[in-house]
Amino acid sequence: MTYFASTGTRGAAAKTDLLKTAMPWIVAAIVLMILPQVFGQSSSITIMNQMWITVVFALAYNMLLGQGGMLSFGHAVYMGLGGFFVMHLMNYIEIYDLPVPLPVLPIFGGLAGMFFAALIGLFQTRSAGTSFAMITLGVGELIAACSVIITAFFGGEEGISGDRTMGLPFFGVEFLHQDEVYYLIAFWMFISVLGMYLFSRTPLGRMANAVRDNPERAEFLGYSARWVRYGSFVASGFFCGIAGALFAVNYEILTEENLNLVTSGTILLVAFLGGVGFFAGPIVGAVLFTLLQTVMSLHTEIWALYLGALFVAVVMFFPQGLTGLIAMHAGPFKLRTMHKLAVPYCKTILPAIISILAVMFMMEVMFHVREATAGDDMMSVMGTEFSSHSPIAWILGTAVAVGGFMIARRNAPALRQSWHEANTPGGGK
Amino acid sequence: MSVPALELRGLRKSFGKTEIIRGVDLSIAKGERHALIGPNGAGKSTLFNLISGRFSPTEGAIRLHGEDISGMESFLINRRGLSRSFQITNIFPKMTVFENVRCALLWPAGFRYSWWQMVNKQAHLTEEADRILDSINLLKRRDVPAGLLAYSEQRALEIGITVGGGADVTMLDEPTAGMSRSETTYIVELIAKVTEGKTLIMVEHDMPVVFGLADNISVLVYGEIIATGEPEAVRADRKVQEAYLGAALEAEEAAGH
Amino acid sequence: MELFAVNIIDGLVTGLLLFMLSSGLTLIFSMMGVLNFAHASFYMIGAYFGYTIALYVGFWPALIIAPLMVGLFGAFVERYGLRRVHQYGHVPELIFTFGLAILIEEIVQFIWGKNQMPFSTPEVLDFAAFSIAAFDIQAYKIFMIFISIAIFGGLLLVLTRTRVGLIIQAALSHPRTVEALGHNVPLVFMGVFGVGAGLAGVAGVIAGPVLGTFPGMAVVLGSIVFVTIVIGGLGSLWGALVASLLIGWVTTFAATYNLEMASLLTAIGLSPPDDMSESLLRDAWTLSLPQVGPILPYLLMVLVLVFRPYGLFGKRGT
Repeated sequence: MTYFASTGTRGAAAKTDLLKTAMPWIVAAIVLMILPQVFGQSSSITIMNQMWITVVFALAYNMLLGQGGMLSFGHAVYMGLGGFFVMHLMNYIEIYDLPVPLPVLPIFGGLAGMFFAALIGLFQTRSAGTSFAMITLGVGELIAACSVIITAFFGGEEGISGDRTMGLPFFGVEFLHQDEVYYLIAFWMFISVLGMYLFSRTPLGRMANAVRDNPERAEFLGYSARWVRYGSFVASGFFCGIAGALFAVNYEILTEENLNLVTSGTILLVAFLGGVGFFAGPIVGAVLFTLLQTVMSLHTEIWALYLGALFVAVVMFFPQGLTGLIAMHAGPFKLRTMHKLAVPYCKTILPAIISILAVMFMMEVMFHVREATAGDDMMSVMGTEFSSHSPIAWILGTAVAVGGFMIARRNAPALRQSWHEANTPGGGK
Repeated sequence: MSVPALELRGLRKSFGKTEIIRGVDLSIAKGERHALIGPNGAGKSTLFNLISGRFSPTEGAIRLHGEDISGMESFLINRRGLSRSFQITNIFPKMTVFENVRCALLWPAGFRYSWWQMVNKQAHLTEEADRILDSINLLKRRDVPAGLLAYSEQRALEIGITVGGGADVTMLDEPTAGMSRSETTYIVELIAKVTEGKTLIMVEHDMPVVFGLADNISVLVYGEIIATGEPEAVRADRKVQEAYLGAALEAEEAAGH
Repeated sequence: MELFAVNIIDGLVTGLLLFMLSSGLTLIFSMMGVLNFAHASFYMIGAYFGYTIALYVGFWPALIIAPLMVGLFGAFVERYGLRRVHQYGHVPELIFTFGLAILIEEIVQFIWGKNQMPFSTPEVLDFAAFSIAAFDIQAYKIFMIFISIAIFGGLLLVLTRTRVGLIIQAALSHPRTVEALGHNVPLVFMGVFGVGAGLAGVAGVIAGPVLGTFPGMAVVLGSIVFVTIVIGGLGSLWGALVASLLIGWVTTFAATYNLEMASLLTAIGLSPPDDMSESLLRDAWTLSLPQVGPILPYLLMVLVLVFRPYGLFGKRGT
């Protein structure tokens, strides 16, 4: 990759460079547009809508965490406030019959989020690290608690609801149907992701990374760490507001839940799951989390327990997230030694997965034993019906769990060895 | 006589009840190469931190090009033309070598907190950063994450970042710490090259480096400067020999330098 | 006037309970630099363990056994969880304790169910110790006050008069020096974390019967505890005490005096809007002090942070 293309060929080289960098975006845009054709059922559209909204929120959150090194436990408020603002806008449009088309509203959500972030960020960004995290928690809880009291803006217990079809029709579309909303959400998601990506390539975005790595050093380059953080904070607030607006458009209701610690904590999990060290990490996390949550909640009542355990496991064993895990394979990939990992992976990871599934099975059984009405012994897992009191189920489940774990443990050193080999040029034997 | 690049008047610093810097007066002219030496615990790092804004003085004044900077925030001092390196390597480990240097160029180039310009499109930034990388011989390591560099490479990068911004007063805190003889020689050549024409203030323990590079030397002992002047004069000064240099010089003579 | 005295006692009870939680939290932060999000979870586990143990052997043995179990669990968490994550830095540590809090809540719900447990005060103390005018003061409350003070007294003695206490105090600010002197600092860390957890557990056993034993109890109290130590100043024990008592009294008083914003506004000459249900400022008019009570701690925190960013007693750089 040369930056020093001679003047004569600079024009042509620049053009091919531009095409190369734009290609992934073009492909993504095309995929986004085709997806509803491929997965046409209304349940799939619902999931995708939720996914894209989470993607925007997660990326905006990662502007603080992964890009800026700031951990916030109260970031849901900016999405929520943006959402509430847009909700009220929608209601005004309906009441006063304003000629405003729906697709324009997310901008106002963004501006609202940005406004509040600019205000609150002024004193929040004075500190960093743990102090910053604590302040975000307190402010977040304050606003969430206030929302129950300030019914004029937050609607109290029932929240604020509205009707998205009341806006000025956009090229004839009134957004009554889910798939019409899909294109609106997908469009704004694309714009937001592009915007956040470009932001990371600006002087402010670069210095945000620098301040994350070494705030003191950044100060000796002429930048106030505090104001760099503030800049990231405000920008993040803008995109959170857009996410909130999309939420308002999609679900047509906003409540206190959109502001509280659970929502803030969830987006932290989402970003972390995907990996905060890479730009695309939160995107992966959002997609994976939405799928996991949707699928799991259909099959089990204790999905929150599994997600909690997943969260702790990721922090303890894979803090670099899924994208980090994938990036770890860059070495073997370049050295073309990936095949060396195939068999050890099977021997260690497969038993581990089976063991985990067995543990989940046991949890379901135990849960059923406690929760089911007296006399109702039957439960079903993956279509097979059996009695949760049956000793066979218990013995089998425990045996597989323990067995799988032991096999995985026995094969782990071999995996470590082959990993080392795969990373050493020339085999390393 | 022109305004000194850096001037310290009656500088004092106490931490709680302990007074670390006990009345320092110093004047460094523009373009001068000044070394600050002294035994461990004399307060050299504290003095550096006072000048660069990490601490505020308890008493006294610090003047940069005639302007009082005592107690100013680090980034404001840096914008007025003073930059420093650190004893413990202080770079941006997760960013590439190239990006590390480019960050040093952003403020001096006037970009401030811009969120509407793409850095990759700024050809003059890229060219300047590459030029600096070339002058510190790290061009071949351009796209490596800085955290993965060898120790001496990181120290070279540190110097590159420090002078890259174009500040005319550069402070280097033990730039050759932990280096072998050959690495030290290499770094010293580097320093001489990149600080050509600029004011240089250096804390150092390595005597050959000090006597080789410096125009003037100040000796700091227990928070006070006991001698300041040209290298030979300082070397010959009785107080300095008693307090500090004697043992070091003997060791050198024995080793045959 | 009598209500005032009752509120003083009630506020004291709440404040001391809060201090039991915040003292452990701020000590752990001071020593290990980690803010334990799961601290209120230890409180919850204490209550649940207390309840379950009390079912078998009664309240009083439970008061001793449950905190011990929680303390051991805390030490276990430190040794096998926190210590592992410590190498990744402070932010992952925080995220770990946050995830742990979520996980513990889910596990508690899994084992004991979502409903409130019928954890009741021991019959021995189930009477009115004395009365102030028309208000009866439950003996249990007096018991709570005394046991809190007794525990602090004990802790203070250990910290300042015993050798272990001195080592802990030194390790609080200079763990590496203490380690260089030959003391087993990781063991000290584990011990302090365990004792902190145990303290939270005691608070749980004591408060469980009064404040309710249900899976949400950690969340409810959790954020207040953090607010408390932020107001008091991260790492300051005195700050934690002052802030805890302050919040205890403020929330108690706010809950009982039904001051209405409306009366305040009319007093300064404003008149209420005609159509309450449509007015934008209707909340200002319908606001009453008990409604505002729960948000007062957060409001206090924001105010303190604006004027004293490091808390009331905090030191710069903690």
